[in-house]
Amino acid sequence: MARFLAGKGVQYALVLLFAVTLNFMLPRLMPGSPLVFLAGEDTAFMPQAQRQQLLQAFGLDRPVWAQYLIYLGNLARGELGFSFQQGRPIAEIIAARLPWTLLLVGLSLLLGTLVGVAWGTLSAWRRGSVFDLSSLGLFMFFESTPSFWLGMIFIALFAAGLRWFPIFGAQTAGAALAGWALVTNRAWHLVLPLATLTLITIPGFFLIMRYSMLTVLGEQYIATAKAKGVGETAVMYRHAMRNALLPVATVFMLNLGVIVSGATVVETVFSYPGLGRLLFEAVLARDYPVIQAGFFVITVTVIAANMLADLLYPLIDPRVRRGA
Amino acid sequence: MRGIAILAIIAVVVTTPATFGAPAPQAGTVRIAITRDEETLNPYTYQSGYPGWNLMTLIYEPLFYPDANNEPIPWLVKETTVSRDGKTWTLTLFPNMKWHDGRALTSEDVKFTYEYLQKVPHGRFTPPTGSIERVEAPNPTTVVFRLKNPDAGFRGRALADIPILPRHIWESVTTIAAARAFTNTVGSGPYRVAEIQKGQFYRLTANPEWFGGPVKVRELVLPIIRDATVSHTALQAGQIDANARSLEPQLVEQFQRLQGIKVVRGPGFASTLLQFNFEDPQLRDVKLRRAIALAINTRLLTNLLTLGLGVVGSPGYIHPSSPFYAQGLSFAGDKSKAVAALNELGFVDRNGDGVREGADGRPLRFTLQAQSGNPIRTRGAELIRTWLKDVGIAVDVRVAEDAAIIDLVWPDFDVCKGRRFQLSMFGWSAPVMSRPTALVDLFHSNCTIGTINIGGYKNPQVDRLGEQLLATVDPARQKQISAQMQKIIAQDLPVHVLFYLDVIQAYREQPYNGYVFQKGQGILTKQSFVDQPK
Amino acid sequence: MAGVAAATLPYVRGPRRRFPLGSVGAIGLMLLAVLVGAAVLAPWITPYDPEQTSGAPFERPSPRHLLGTNDIGQDIFSELIYGARISLMIGSLAALVAISIGTAVGIVAGYFGGWADVVLMRLVDIVLVVPFLPLMILLAAYLGPSFWTIITVIGVLVWARPARILRAQVLSLRSVEYIEAARAVGASAARVLLRHVLPGVLSLSLAQFIQAASNAILIEASLSFLGLGDPTAKSWGSILYYAQVRSAFLTGAWLWWVLPPGILITLATLGFAFTGFALEVSLNPRLRR
Repeated sequence: MARFLAGKGVQYALVLLFAVTLNFMLPRLMPGSPLVFLAGEDTAFMPQAQRQQLLQAFGLDRPVWAQYLIYLGNLARGELGFSFQQGRPIAEIIAARLPWTLLLVGLSLLLGTLVGVAWGTLSAWRRGSVFDLSSLGLFMFFESTPSFWLGMIFIALFAAGLRWFPIFGAQTAGAALAGWALVTNRAWHLVLPLATLTLITIPGFFLIMRYSMLTVLGEQYIATAKAKGVGETAVMYRHAMRNALLPVATVFMLNLGVIVSGATVVETVFSYPGLGRLLFEAVLARDYPVIQAGFFVITVTVIAANMLADLLYPLIDPRVRRGA
Repeated sequence: MRGIAILAIIAVVVTTPATFGAPAPQAGTVRIAITRDEETLNPYTYQSGYPGWNLMTLIYEPLFYPDANNEPIPWLVKETTVSRDGKTWTLTLFPNMKWHDGRALTSEDVKFTYEYLQKVPHGRFTPPTGSIERVEAPNPTTVVFRLKNPDAGFRGRALADIPILPRHIWESVTTIAAARAFTNTVGSGPYRVAEIQKGQFYRLTANPEWFGGPVKVRELVLPIIRDATVSHTALQAGQIDANARSLEPQLVEQFQRLQGIKVVRGPGFASTLLQFNFEDPQLRDVKLRRAIALAINTRLLTNLLTLGLGVVGSPGYIHPSSPFYAQGLSFAGDKSKAVAALNELGFVDRNGDGVREGADGRPLRFTLQAQSGNPIRTRGAELIRTWLKDVGIAVDVRVAEDAAIIDLVWPDFDVCKGRRFQLSMFGWSAPVMSRPTALVDLFHSNCTIGTINIGGYKNPQVDRLGEQLLATVDPARQKQISAQMQKIIAQDLPVHVLFYLDVIQAYREQPYNGYVFQKGQGILTKQSFVDQPK
Repeated sequence: MAGVAAATLPYVRGPRRRFPLGSVGAIGLMLLAVLVGAAVLAPWITPYDPEQTSGAPFERPSPRHLLGTNDIGQDIFSELIYGARISLMIGSLAALVAISIGTAVGIVAGYFGGWADVVLMRLVDIVLVVPFLPLMILLAAYLGPSFWTIITVIGVLVWARPARILRAQVLSLRSVEYIEAARAVGASAARVLLRHVLPGVLSLSLAQFIQAASNAILIEASLSFLGLGDPTAKSWGSILYYAQVRSAFLTGAWLWWVLPPGILITLATLGFAFTGFALEVSLNPRLRR
């Protein structure tokens, strides 16, 4: 077991290094100068000497390998750098935006899992029925729907049309709210983006739970057919469900890694101030340090999720513990 | 009897504050959406020309300020005297001006500011100070500027643009990096920064001690709404009271029908144009440029993209509503004339593929750059591609990020660095047009004078006239020279100006309707909230 | 996510009702047939050339323009039909690139094992980690946000999961007797691969291809919507992009400008997903219960 973990550990470290290097190279290869965002859009009228001064002040004139070494050193120290555009530490920026993304995506993942698992179980239990088939149809539809389109429809209907919900943001700007009022205001702003993201998340869990349940039930069903009495069925239902949850657990943990960037599109449509949206804006603004730091956070998250899955899965499924 | 006395006393007590006290501001809180984050809103951190500069100058004031017609009017200055040779400017400041922290604003701060800009360069504010030889502060309310040469744009580009910094706060900020990271917002203006929520909103509150008089809106809340659609929806839904962003043409009719919302409109000085690369071997030929321009139906294009809320471009660049416009200049697209011109130039479709070829067999094919984040530009490119295809010119539209296009068209924002493109959609913001020296910046062939001559255009006559323009301070003579330049440019067509989109702004009349519309800019100007100090 | 769907669609042989397996596949194929048909027949069934301004901007639906016109007066109905060409083509080509890479990687990793396997599977992990949004912007800036850029980028990112699945298939094939026999007789690796392994994975590849196409269509729509695609190529995603940036919601135009493209994207994605699933099930009896 220890050797297995060590082996995996080394591999993940390599992945991390490779990903980090790639993350560093990518922004460097992009054309375009960040100068307009160093000094605002009026850099156009700046004499060459002054522009050079600015480039130097921000380290853009050093050779690439020097910048790389500095980057690695900083990462090792947990220093995420300083944003060109915002003029403040990136750790601060990410710390401000990350919670919103985690809130939005975390909640939708949770809700999606709960609803998906429950509904999937029910559907599997009543397989072949109208309920089952229409559920399948419904969730296949949502899985194939572009999330941003769903968001746009929601905004047009519920926000701009019926005016039940706000159109943008995580909370009402400028309103000095506190305590319970703040919580309800934020919850109110969360409804539509959460609904959109959840509707896209449920189908995956529904389908996998249903399949998984069917597999387990199928195995047991024949045996059950010989048994009598509801009590046994109930026991088998609990037992079956626990086994059926295994692949769901894996999928859940792997999806954690997609959290911080997967919601970019939804955050864009709803102007929700999260990390996905920050990354997108930073790339358009050629804000190199923010791009690098954002990638780093995403990479670490994905690798961590994978490692967690590797660690926990044998604990959940005793069959795997003995080695593949 | 006593009853009447009591009533009288009550009446007096109740009405006295209104008569003798300061008149109450006209509105409490007004929410105005802005388009982007402006960092800490001080002179070294604000981001955009509009609305960034307009907001920043609510807090940090320049000596002069543009009025509704973009003419600079005295603001912190009681009296101005200019010597006859135009090289010495003596300004008398108002007494009793204070910074937000209570310290006095004096000529020392003015002198400090203009010297500071030399030490810690700023992209917008440092270049106009280049003509200053030295600044003197003989006493706390007098500032003397001694210029190296008479400078036509000194009042507009320097005095009415550069915000004054408090010396006692900024003298310890000695590097660019420190200035860009400096979060202090103590200014002298009618508004103070009360709260900043990064990436979300700003809250500005009226400065009760402002020397210039009453401030009409007590509190400004500025939420940042990056998405245009969202901002217009928010205004419609009453979640905001005004929008710094121009209203899109297709929404105007709808907004005009809404109760309680007022739509105001004025000529816009931002231009949208088709930029030619003068150094391209084919596009160097003025007849070909004119043929291409003739193939574009600018009237239809303007209607489609502005829905009638714009003005067709003038071939001399200057907007017809500008005082500098050379009367009568215009250019109309005409497909048949385009076809005739191309035939005359010897471009004929020799192989039946729908694309004309030259005598050497090379097809008439161009790449057109278009900025990806800008739907008006991409739609414009689409239309131009279709119309040029109709006359046998093949156009490959290449949509790319703003920065990637700048890399090709205007590398490092330095015209001296050359260019690598053929055709590009482009445009200039309003301030470019309002400067009297606009045409020189745009068309002078010397890359250190024609700092935005991105096409590399070269015409010695235009150069000569431009140099004359720079040295002329008399406005009437300026207009004459400018008109001459425009006529030549209209013939040469180094750029094909497509249209100018009107500035259209919408706001809710409740809670506040005292906005002033600044020509070419909009309602988010200082004049909307305070009057000129007297 | 569409891959998950594939693994779990019914089976449908329950105690009470019986639906022929083919019904799912039939629906899928029907959807695809309609959409592909529309794409192919576009020049004949569209009333206007979608690139020409054929009406006033923002016209409401009318007999002349079934779905009204867009912001520059082009007929939306015509745009949608031509959009099928672009979106379906991008989806299929991107999937083709992805599956070619994925199949090659899966075969090499599964068959040869050892270091090749370790390296390739780590590569799979890495690819799954690379943030695809900036990669898209990078390539878009160099190559231009063109048709080919999107295809390349989607292809280069979508191959990873199929590679894993195909590798598993190859692993199970490897131990099949006739392959062991062939190797025992001394057949070269290339021969074994070509004659025995490749045919074995081909059908699974096909099923994966269709799943990948399903993904690719959704990704292309999202990229175009974010403004990272080529807005002058009239894919369904870019139609939605213009609807969004030209404020379609606020004018009620969303009904005929936003709703239809989204429905078409969904139907296309569904069509591929159903077809791919049905194929996979028919190939793999274990999924059929």
